[in-house]
Amino acid sequence: MERAELEAKVLEMVAASFKKDAADLTTETSFKDDLGGASVQMVALVSEIENELDAVLMLADASACATIGDLIDLIEEEM
Amino acid sequence: MSVLDQIYAKAKEDPRRVAFPEAMNEKMMQAAFETGQEGYIIPVLVGNENELKAAIAERGYDESVFVIVDIHEETYKQSVIEKYVALPETRLKEKALSRRMEDPLYYAMAMQAVGEADVTFAGIDNTTGDVLLAGQMIIGLKEGISTISSIGLCDIPGFEGSEGTLLAVGDSAVCTNPNAEQLASIAISACDTVSALLDWEPRCAMVSYSTLGSGKGELIDKVTEAVKIANEQRPDLAIDGEFQFDAAISPAVAAKKVKRESRVAGRANVVIWPDLNVGNVGVKLIQQFGHADAYGPMLQGFNKVVCDCSRGAPVSEIKGNIVISAARAAGSRQ
Repeated sequence: MERAELEAKVLEMVAASFKKDAADLTTETSFKDDLGGASVQMVALVSEIENELDAVLMLADASACATIGDLIDLIEEEM
Repeated sequence: MSVLDQIYAKAKEDPRRVAFPEAMNEKMMQAAFETGQEGYIIPVLVGNENELKAAIAERGYDESVFVIVDIHEETYKQSVIEKYVALPETRLKEKALSRRMEDPLYYAMAMQAVGEADVTFAGIDNTTGDVLLAGQMIIGLKEGISTISSIGLCDIPGFEGSEGTLLAVGDSAVCTNPNAEQLASIAISACDTVSALLDWEPRCAMVSYSTLGSGKGELIDKVTEAVKIANEQRPDLAIDGEFQFDAAISPAVAAKKVKRESRVAGRANVVIWPDLNVGNVGVKLIQQFGHADAYGPMLQGFNKVVCDCSRGAPVSEIKGNIVISAARAAGSRQ
């Protein structure tokens, strides 16, 4: 999968899990500052990534990502 | 009859199926066997069948006490997966779930999600984080609940509260710094937990350093907002505050400080701390100065009963927590 396609998919998944509009998100969006990330939403996101991209992430690794771009890097490593 | 005796009697009246994904652990198997043999639960061991049977024989237990579920047996696994993915609002799809179910912890929870078990009991080999993640992923949170939390049940000698020497307090163990919405979830979950476990009519006080506006500031605002959210979400529950701790549990103090109608003030049987700093210190004060026995922490907020026991727990403590979990599951069915 090309990086651009992966980015688009992950932005959609983040939007769905955190109940945001995908158009407002970028790879620079911060989980902590912009999304107010709680573990419940991160669990939903990790599950969705596992379902749709077949990449199994550790919750602790996903939670350690500062931005959506960092998460995409992590997914690329696992795919 | 002591509170533990009441809980044990409740579990024995309606033994529930408790899934043990860490049954190869010697202490866990002993606790599962003894609580099963004594008639409190139906112990369901989830793992490698051959290894489990060999360990049961080697340790001298009667195999007929257990139900053994082999995680490598494909027909049953497939039936669990099919039922699971057919449930509304589950997180994992078939392929991802099948992969996760190679781990007995996830297998046990999938069984529980589809009604093949009533409780998942783990935490002796898995970390608390492992158990919480698996629980959130497979069992999910109750509708309207935004965080996992916990309560403890304190039996305080000399305390003359509205439930005698007993007082439920939370959260003293899990949710570090809840926002108002999460604090409301903790209170709602706590009411449901004591109702299922002890058949109490919950009267839940959300405590602070202020009673009904006697103080001002953001620490208090969080608690008053939480009371408002909890009352909007669950008007059927008696959740009130903000109260100081003494106004919550002492009728004499409540009479002086609470100048409006309250079903809770002075007679609370559930106390919700504003954050984990208060919760942890609070429960230690009750134990150290009040010489209380504290049971728990009992995890709450999940759709079904999940128990995470301490990794250093002795068999006697594990058995107590198994029976408490089973009694909660029995109470949730009523």
